[in-house]
Amino acid sequence: MTRTQDRLFWLEERQLAPRWSTGVSGLVNLAALIVAVAIVWWVFFSIEGIFKLYTPLLGFSMVIWTLLIILWQAQLFDFWPLSRGFLENAHPLSKGAVFTLITIATYLVLLFGIVWFIIGRLGITYFNWQSLAKYGELGQDMLSTRETASWAMLCLSIPFFLVGVWFMLGIGKDLFHELGQPKFGLANWLFVAVIAIPMYVIFFHPHLGSMFYPKQIYAAVPPWWEAIAQTNSAEYTVGILFCSVIGVFLALNLWDGWPFDLVGRQPWRFFYFALCSLVIGYVIFRIQLYIFDYLWYEAYVGGQNEANFGWRYSHTVTMANFVLVIAIIQNTFFGPAYEKMNRLIGSIIKTVVAIILGLCFAWVYYNWGPTLLGVAEGVSHPSENASAFLILIINIVMIQDLFMDRWPGYQLKK
Amino acid sequence: MDRRNFLKRLAATGTGIALSGSVGTLSKAHAAKGGKEDFGEIKSLKVQCISETSWFDNATLGKDIKAAGGINTNQYDVAYTEENLGGYAALVEVEALDGSKKKYLLDTGWSNDWVDYVFAKDGIDKMLQSKEIDTLFISHDHIDHYFGIESTLKHQPDIKIYFPGTSMPKSFELLKGADFSATPGCPKNSVPHTGELIVTSPDKLYKIQDGMALKFFDCPATLQVRGENVLYFNIKDKGYVTVTGCCHPGILTLLSHARRNFKDGNKNYGCYGGLHISVFENWDPKFDDIIKGVKTFNMQKIGCNHCTGWIWAEKAEQAGLPIVHGTDKNLSYKKVGSLSRAKTSNVYLGNGDEMVF
Repeated sequence: MTRTQDRLFWLEERQLAPRWSTGVSGLVNLAALIVAVAIVWWVFFSIEGIFKLYTPLLGFSMVIWTLLIILWQAQLFDFWPLSRGFLENAHPLSKGAVFTLITIATYLVLLFGIVWFIIGRLGITYFNWQSLAKYGELGQDMLSTRETASWAMLCLSIPFFLVGVWFMLGIGKDLFHELGQPKFGLANWLFVAVIAIPMYVIFFHPHLGSMFYPKQIYAAVPPWWEAIAQTNSAEYTVGILFCSVIGVFLALNLWDGWPFDLVGRQPWRFFYFALCSLVIGYVIFRIQLYIFDYLWYEAYVGGQNEANFGWRYSHTVTMANFVLVIAIIQNTFFGPAYEKMNRLIGSIIKTVVAIILGLCFAWVYYNWGPTLLGVAEGVSHPSENASAFLILIINIVMIQDLFMDRWPGYQLKK
Repeated sequence: MDRRNFLKRLAATGTGIALSGSVGTLSKAHAAKGGKEDFGEIKSLKVQCISETSWFDNATLGKDIKAAGGINTNQYDVAYTEENLGGYAALVEVEALDGSKKKYLLDTGWSNDWVDYVFAKDGIDKMLQSKEIDTLFISHDHIDHYFGIESTLKHQPDIKIYFPGTSMPKSFELLKGADFSATPGCPKNSVPHTGELIVTSPDKLYKIQDGMALKFFDCPATLQVRGENVLYFNIKDKGYVTVTGCCHPGILTLLSHARRNFKDGNKNYGCYGGLHISVFENWDPKFDDIIKGVKTFNMQKIGCNHCTGWIWAEKAEQAGLPIVHGTDKNLSYKKVGSLSRAKTSNVYLGNGDEMVF
């Protein structure tokens, strides 16, 4: 078994080149992405499709967990168990199919096997909608319980995502580097879990405990953030922590990793990375709240729709995701166009483009989404969460990039 | 306000404003434009609950909706279990300052069988035939508030109707006479409406009579429905009362709208109707926020039922809100909702109950 420190990860080693000019290659990839997103959305998520998974929280929880699993495969497990020869020689479509199937299988084992089936049946009721319906009385019909269980899974993903990013990018190969795969990936993953699970308990479990009547105060303290957030809803912590994750990916895609690359020596790099992500996340969160106040006036306690504090916190994530989707597409498909530019100038241009196109994308989504995607009309519709669609797009870009070497617009340099 | 001024300078991008302006917002619509409205006063108000039981079993309706694709499915595409269907309607009786009284109908239920039954029980059918009631307010075109339109029109086809402008195209067709009943639980109307139709929009306040006004809110609802007409009353020496079908805009939105836009709008006396909170008796910590928020308005009488959620009403009462209790009258009706039968706290104003403001 090769030690992780002795060789480069596949993503460090591979070199990609546009198949045609950067513009044409990027546009071809964009077209392929649009087709793939449309098919996946209509087959799996749309309320007029086959599986109707956009409830919306069931669909949202699925895409966020599958995105995490895609990143784990690339950044923690270095595409284990597939060999380097397979990665170098297999057709991108074959690689995409194999790794996507591994992603789906991992999702089914981890989420539906361990979390939903085992923990939800034998441990924590709210992770399984059938358990909720079985043990609950009022309000525990399937329509409600499926959303509650999906919300719990969604909340569980957030600390895993944030801490996972800290480890994947803030530590990289600096810990457990003497191990080969899959031990390296597993050791890091378990370390992530050790931190993420208590974070979930602190930041989200109080919300879940308050979702029942009477409140489950002997199992979960009442939401401790109420006085700070003006709401009992964990959308407050969702907003800050999710924006922190988004902040990291914005920095990677818009600013070539700045400012996360300012500290190189461990363990300071890790702590700096974590703190920096939280600071940037909080800034993204807070600036948007100011803008929402401007657009919709101040929220008030108990207000509904866009006057609701919780919805506004959650909407910071949605709007940041609109910008992030553009940032990722821009960097992944059209990145070489910026490579010869001065780093600062390139970063500024990329940022401006991402914000403007992100806002335009939001405008298109909220105006045409009901017709094109079958989503509910209205920015603050309680049964609508654009992040499900946006993270689905990111999933497919990641599959295209990490699993398929950005096929069809790009190819491996041999 | 400093914060907003700062942002005006810093962050008001044209795109951001365009985004908010084009997709419809609630809060900005509450801003007082050119002074506060004064639509007069009434002496008293009585609301009779003709039916608040829109369906008799939550789980059955939940299964029907889930099978059709979930809560965002088009309401005309869901196959409903027909024996589960009821409907929402209320009789609103306004006493003017001079003592004269006028009656209005708010909503017209769902199942024609059920609506015909409750109309006959309360004499609504005769009031319609004699034109003692000559105006119908459709709060919104949801299944349980509107699908029973034939039960009203067959007694008075030329009744004046206030209808939400955001209603679904099929809902407009239904008013003119249409048959969607091939899908179980979906409506038919064989009596086209021939009277005055006022299609409401969010940019104006519709004064119905002195002390009574209708305001349309463009707000999201489930099953692809949008918007709701809300009735406001200003009762002399007491304050404002709202009467709602479902209150999709949110009770605090209504109270805030009054506070921002009506003369003496901070005097909120009470409310009647569905408050659309824990609709399926599920709970969310946000609903605790609503209790806390409503407490700040010092209302004197809160009459709630329908989509409010028994859980919310019970928790609100425990928190000290003045929830007006109903009676057991609804238990004598030919059908009783599973929750009404199970709950003994009477925090709902049930079928046949009255509330006086």
